[in-house]
Amino acid sequence: MNNLVRDLRGEHGWSQADLAQKLDVSRQTINAIETGKYDPSLPLAFKIARLFGMPIEMIFVPGEE
Amino acid sequence: MSRLSEKQYTRRAMVAMALYTAFMLLAWPLVRTTTSVPLKVCLALAPVVPMLYVISLMFRRIRDSDELEQRMHLVGLGVATAVLGTLSLIAGFLSAAGILKLDGTVLIWVFPVTVICYGITRWWVSRRYGADAACDDDAAVPRYVWFLLGGCIGLATAWFSRHSLDDMSEGFLCGAGAGFLGMGLISGITRWQRRRQVHD
Repeated sequence: MNNLVRDLRGEHGWSQADLAQKLDVSRQTINAIETGKYDPSLPLAFKIARLFGMPIEMIFVPGEE
Repeated sequence: MSRLSEKQYTRRAMVAMALYTAFMLLAWPLVRTTTSVPLKVCLALAPVVPMLYVISLMFRRIRDSDELEQRMHLVGLGVATAVLGTLSLIAGFLSAAGILKLDGTVLIWVFPVTVICYGITRWWVSRRYGADAACDDDAAVPRYVWFLLGGCIGLATAWFSRHSLDDMSEGFLCGAGAGFLGMGLISGITRWQRRRQVHD
């Protein structure tokens, strides 16, 4: 799954540590989500969408199958 | 109860491990020579106290983990259980067949083997999820320092307890200590190379 988390984080001027603290997860988890190595659970994905004020489907895009 | 930071967790675990080492070096040699049974029991179980604290720290760390960390803990603990179960099975059958002579002291190694297997597996899984030197910078103590410390503790324990240890235990401690020192050197050199690449 592709996502825009890194781009959105950059727009807000947050570091990975800042975003991790806001979402109450570890920095490694943020890094793994941004690099596409880990797809977040639904609750975490909704939390991310709520934080950035965007619909979840605009942030997370299914990858090519 | 708030989540412990990496620094808090590491500091508390290191204090507990230092206490454990002190008990092993100072209290354990007295166990065999003490005649009083209650005192013998207290001395024999003294190292268990800091270990129970370390186990409680591990429980708290896993409980407070986020979803990705819990997945890595699960894989690490699963592999550790499988490895320990396999080793126990092999040793049990060899002992029952009279090929391997085992006594109760082998049980002391159950927890260390579990922790080592869990640690190695968790490290490998975290690399799969993109953990690298950058994430290691968050750690209060870099990984290579842990390995070097473990190696020094192992070799020091072997040296100071050499008169009370049997050949197998002493050999194991020396081998494990040397292995940890080697891993510390490799880890430290790898970290230094990665940092050089980042700054170049």
